[in-house]
Amino acid sequence: MMRLEVQTREALDARVDAALLARRAAADLPILARAEALARAAARWQRDGRLADVLVDTTGFSRPMIDAVLPLAADAFAASAIVALVERELGAGAIEKPPPAGPAMVLHVLASNVPALALPAIALGVLVGAVVLIKSGRDDPESAPAFVEALAAERPDLAATVVAAYWPGATTVLEDAALARADVTVLTGGDAALAALVPRMRGRCVLHGPRTSIAAVGRGALADAPTVAARIAADAVLHEQRGCLSPQTAYVEEGGAMAPREFADVLLAALETARERLPPARAAVEERAAVRVAWDAAEHEPGTLLRGAPGAGVILQDAASFRPPIGGRTLRVHPVRELGMLPGLLPMGVVECVGLAGGDATALAAPLLARGVARICPVGRMQRPTLSWPRGQHAPLGTLLGRPAEPCLEIER
Amino acid sequence: MALETELAAALAAPPRGNPAIDFEAWALRVFAHQYERNGPYRAFCERRGVTPRSVASWHEVPAVPTAAFRRLELACGPPEAVFRTSGTSGGPDARGRHLVPALALYDAAALAAFERFVLPDAARPPWAVLLPSPALRPDSSLVHMCAAAADALAPRADWYVGADGLELERLLARLADDERSGEAVLLAGVTAAFVALFDACRARGRAFRLGPGSRVMDTGGQKGLARPVSRAAFLRSCWTALGIPAYFCVNEYGMTELCSQRYDSVLDDRFHGRSLAPRRLVAPPWLRTRVLDPDTLAPVPPGATGLLCHHDLANAGSVSVVLTEDLGRLVGDDGIELQGRVAGAPPRGCGLLLAELGGA
Repeated sequence: MMRLEVQTREALDARVDAALLARRAAADLPILARAEALARAAARWQRDGRLADVLVDTTGFSRPMIDAVLPLAADAFAASAIVALVERELGAGAIEKPPPAGPAMVLHVLASNVPALALPAIALGVLVGAVVLIKSGRDDPESAPAFVEALAAERPDLAATVVAAYWPGATTVLEDAALARADVTVLTGGDAALAALVPRMRGRCVLHGPRTSIAAVGRGALADAPTVAARIAADAVLHEQRGCLSPQTAYVEEGGAMAPREFADVLLAALETARERLPPARAAVEERAAVRVAWDAAEHEPGTLLRGAPGAGVILQDAASFRPPIGGRTLRVHPVRELGMLPGLLPMGVVECVGLAGGDATALAAPLLARGVARICPVGRMQRPTLSWPRGQHAPLGTLLGRPAEPCLEIER
Repeated sequence: MALETELAAALAAPPRGNPAIDFEAWALRVFAHQYERNGPYRAFCERRGVTPRSVASWHEVPAVPTAAFRRLELACGPPEAVFRTSGTSGGPDARGRHLVPALALYDAAALAAFERFVLPDAARPPWAVLLPSPALRPDSSLVHMCAAAADALAPRADWYVGADGLELERLLARLADDERSGEAVLLAGVTAAFVALFDACRARGRAFRLGPGSRVMDTGGQKGLARPVSRAAFLRSCWTALGIPAYFCVNEYGMTELCSQRYDSVLDDRFHGRSLAPRRLVAPPWLRTRVLDPDTLAPVPPGATGLLCHHDLANAGSVSVVLTEDLGRLVGDDGIELQGRVAGAPPRGCGLLLAELGGA
């Protein structure tokens, strides 16, 4: 594969300079042509067998898991979703025109928790006509160059506006060089990584720090509990529960065909089935130890019952509350009297996505928006956002363009 | 209390600090004792289907995670002392409590190990203790341990952490006196207090040359430090600021939940012809440590990293097998290396004592 490791500031500057020239040359290319090229490139990227092999090595994910998550990344490029996004944010007819005036260069510093984070980052930058400099995370330095390769096969002029790079974290000279050139910097990662970079930025900054997601099961949905549980388990297991869209907790409405405690057992069975289909990743001892410690601590919380074990585990808690995520394919289950109580349980700005089974998305939308939630979707769809996902409540295109916008919430029905 | 009294006598029996202990037999006996008298622990074992009848080896005694000490009253009888973990965040729930029904057993274990690993040459220097006094922190197991050891083993001990933190001026004056006298001194305390002392020495251009045989016993590691300090840098500072060579610097590893401690092997090795042996944290014979895989809780291969699980017979009055939130590995036949704390685990440890008292 083409791991594009950058060694010197001069080399990085030269690549950015070349991309800026390419941007000027492609400036008149309409957004629709960009979107079509991106969609074709995503399909080509997904077919790249070499990439899957490499990702098994670099991410530690099992091969079945890689085979399951690569299509999710490519499917996000659905042309209809891109058209809707552009129309919504840039106005009717904008799709037929070149991108509006915007930043010359967008820098994305990506985390490593899930693979293929580079794809939406590249796509959104290309749609607004910017040079996109991708600094890949340690565990996935290959997805970005592979996508640039795929884009080059479709539209070399657009591919030339993307710089896929990798350097080890805390390589200050290269970080500073990149930060100095960027009009907009989008940072994804843990709090420590963000804190190290934010003070050194020149341009505007968009932060995507750690967030988590939850599932909510209305009492009506409990009539088909096995199906609902299988969907929640799939959402949790995909990406090893490491992403901000991964559910960590399921809130189950009381009064349905099945009590929350019984649903916990059904959910455990679903997690065990998912483990057979998608074997767990190779995980560092530090990560596994953190899960073990959190699991052990939960055993001694009042009103708590444990089912299963880390790797496929459910923590049933009597109290309707929000508890920190554990990860490691474990899900907390809390009963709630009414799903309408759910927004009041959530801390501000922590939950990214709410996966719903049987609830009323419209009724929940306003209070969840106020708690910082960015996406509501059916369970089973939590890991399948399109490019229109307003991550962190940021409008995907407007944020890059610097347009003032209210916090966004997307509802997928 | 009969078992605790008998065990305390066994730990204190000559040769002091290194008694012969039939670990297996004691472990099974202690487990039966705890199963009978410690209700929350018995419930914990029953949930796992383990009883004294089903346990054939010390390896099979159920390990209680340190998190349980935050919630449960894990004791075999009314406590003579309650020790609490230090921690500056997380609220009361994040602080563990160790209920100790037999302080005599605690003291016997602490004394014997301290004598063996910090005073293997039978020296009895006066102490300068970089900790709050027992009156100030009666619930600190580290403070209690140092007080018990000082009472038994030191001709004099002075405490240099007050309600407002480290009393630097008084400590510097004391060290100047010690330097003039040329007599050995034992400095014991949290690593963070030593680092504060080193910083003060550097800022004032002051360096001491303490008498031969002077030594350092520090504990707490990186916890509570204002800035990260490597072990090598710490040992260098012991030499440059105090004139104490690295082989007289002994790191201690203890936990509120344990009555016994591990110590850096360096001084014991030096006085027993093993100067070339690698530094490691060694234990008295009544404390054994296994390194466990976080997923399976089975032992990892020798040298691999895992969760540290201590089996401390001196914990006979509470729970003997404690699964920690510390990562480490086995070193040689008798040692461990501490590699850090699990991410996300609540901050705790004696290294935070100083921060709680107004900073270093």
